[in-house]
Amino acid sequence: MSVKRYSSMEYDNFEDLLFGHSKYPVKTGLNLEIGAGYTTAEINYAPRPDAAENKATLVNEYERITRDIMERMVQVGFPSIVLETEHVQQMTHNPEWGADIATAQKAIMEEYHDEYGIKCALRHTVGDVRGDRERIDLRGDAYSRILESFEQIASSGADMLSIESLGGKEVFDHSILRNDMRGVVFSVGILGALDVEYIWKDICSIAKKNKVVPAGDTACAQANTAMFVAGGLLDFKLSHSVASVVRAISASRSLAAYEAGAVGPGKDCGYENNIIKAITGYPISQEGKGSTCAHSDLMGNMAMQCCDLWSNESVEYRGDFGGTTVQCWGETLSYDCSMMNTALEAGVGKTLRDVLMVSDRYRDPQAFILSYDNAYRIGEVITAHPDDMYLRAKEAGMKACELIESGSEGFLELSKFEKATIKKARNDLKSLDENMESFICNCLDIYSSEVDTFDPSNYGL
Amino acid sequence: MIDINPKNILIRYNILVESDMTPEEVAEQLFPTDPYIRQIAKAVFEGDEDEVVAALQNTIDSGVDPLSLINDALMAGMEVVSTLYDYGLLYLPDVIISAQAMIEGIEYCKEQSKQVHESKGKIISYVVEGDIHDIGKKIVTVLLRANGYEVIDLGKDVPVEEVVAAVKREKPIMLSGTALMTTTMHAFKDVNSRLLASDINVPVVCGGGAVTQDFVSDYDLGVYCEEAADVPKIADSILQGLDIRKLRDTFHKH
Repeated sequence: MSVKRYSSMEYDNFEDLLFGHSKYPVKTGLNLEIGAGYTTAEINYAPRPDAAENKATLVNEYERITRDIMERMVQVGFPSIVLETEHVQQMTHNPEWGADIATAQKAIMEEYHDEYGIKCALRHTVGDVRGDRERIDLRGDAYSRILESFEQIASSGADMLSIESLGGKEVFDHSILRNDMRGVVFSVGILGALDVEYIWKDICSIAKKNKVVPAGDTACAQANTAMFVAGGLLDFKLSHSVASVVRAISASRSLAAYEAGAVGPGKDCGYENNIIKAITGYPISQEGKGSTCAHSDLMGNMAMQCCDLWSNESVEYRGDFGGTTVQCWGETLSYDCSMMNTALEAGVGKTLRDVLMVSDRYRDPQAFILSYDNAYRIGEVITAHPDDMYLRAKEAGMKACELIESGSEGFLELSKFEKATIKKARNDLKSLDENMESFICNCLDIYSSEVDTFDPSNYGL
Repeated sequence: MIDINPKNILIRYNILVESDMTPEEVAEQLFPTDPYIRQIAKAVFEGDEDEVVAALQNTIDSGVDPLSLINDALMAGMEVVSTLYDYGLLYLPDVIISAQAMIEGIEYCKEQSKQVHESKGKIISYVVEGDIHDIGKKIVTVLLRANGYEVIDLGKDVPVEEVVAAVKREKPIMLSGTALMTTTMHAFKDVNSRLLASDINVPVVCGGGAVTQDFVSDYDLGVYCEEAADVPKIADSILQGLDIRKLRDTFHKH
């Protein structure tokens, strides 16, 4: 597959960014179209801990999950639903497990589609199993197993293919705990982007062969790690401003999947997807207030602003007062979608979008830079350097610093600590090498000695 | 585009509670007064490994026992860091950087002495079998070492048998295990069963990702830990004689 670099924004104006609408909607599954004028809930789930004992117990668990969701959707009258199955590692290690589960889930979804006409699709997210306790081996046997898993699920009922790729994580974990912006840019902007491009060329070939959708990736292992370590307002673990800079840089990493042929919807936990949508025009999945079952964040409403799928991140399958957890959260998400779709039908979609966005815009620096207008501005600096993955990552980080600093002159309140850290991040980024070649050369020297598990050959370096 | 003043919608409580004093100003009041010791403690606070070693050398040259400097100077400096972290004046990277400097200093002191340094206690840390997500374990390990504990770091994706064998061999005061996923955290229960079968009652402190207090409360040796910064406090409590029930009373917050 060839690589297409984005040198301009697919959207001409940030005002055109809106939930339920994308420039290039995706038709998938059973009569579903994503980003074609309406939003759809994407329910995500994890099996109970003891359900993965063997293939039969796991297939049975996913059958129960799928039937529960479909039943609740028709009981409450929702017109569409997406199911996302994030593989537990047994499913990827044993590709036939993933395939059998996809087949079983799709059969149930077809049953409901045939009987009730409910539009639906199945996303499978293969586990990135390319690391073990000794080392990370991104291009060896484990990679072959991942591709085999994609092959099998694509031919067994999965409509959309995704992965949460790990590339760059070993250097990122080391760097973020030391406030090392050089390491952040290297791990996310260079190593991550190289890995994403490498794997997505293969995933897109598999998707094309099987006539399914190569949906997209996420910088979960990097940007979400920073965001979750940073935590809430009173968690003094990591600067929220620094986590925001990581997020901006991560867009240049996630973009590599679309440059290699992915068409969306990007993964729910990719909070950088607002930037991706502005650049590519492809639909996105997002999570926010509907994912409090999995984690807390500081942009629960805002995350809906441009979503095409609306997700809960993940919930363990078990009983709750209102039914099973997948029923409860699927219903909550679908009611949110119903509200968004009503606003679209009534012609007040942009008003609702702005209400959602403004309610969180000033809650946290990360919410501020991901507000659709600022997300668009970060996209612009990324597309200004289409052929230089270093510069686009660095400039995205610099832009985030600039936005946060200028925002703090308005309604974005920053603590003294946040002001100091954003100033330091900007200076650190500014002082980095002038060009990619010397930057990579220096980083190879530094991180080969500082990070035991870093092996440049994993990235073709 | 709609925009409003958010003052009636949200409160950034982190700004409300922020101290007027800088971390450096508070630290100045907490450093030891002896000029030699103070210099070492300040170097730890600043995370300057070279300065730590230089200040240690300077102090040792003046006739002070190298091993006494571990507790009196290095740990004293780290205690200032930990105190400011607890106050919310320092952040995790500050602690990590200071801890690295302190660990360098401890190694230097050991090299300079012919005697053996006793740690506060031995702790085994690991990530459960099937799980390679280890940033939480790395944080916990640094925090424990920074608080004077010897940590046997078994790494990530550690088989149950290996954890149990390490406990039998090392006889730690506690285990610290992390897991990200619901499907891997079951390994905590297996460790618990295997230890009990061998009549070993060491606390298994568990946290991370999908791990919940309810889950950990379900097995006899389990102590749930929500915050990495609590792990050294749990270890200190064990040294003070708290058993698993009392540890749960103290550290189970929900």
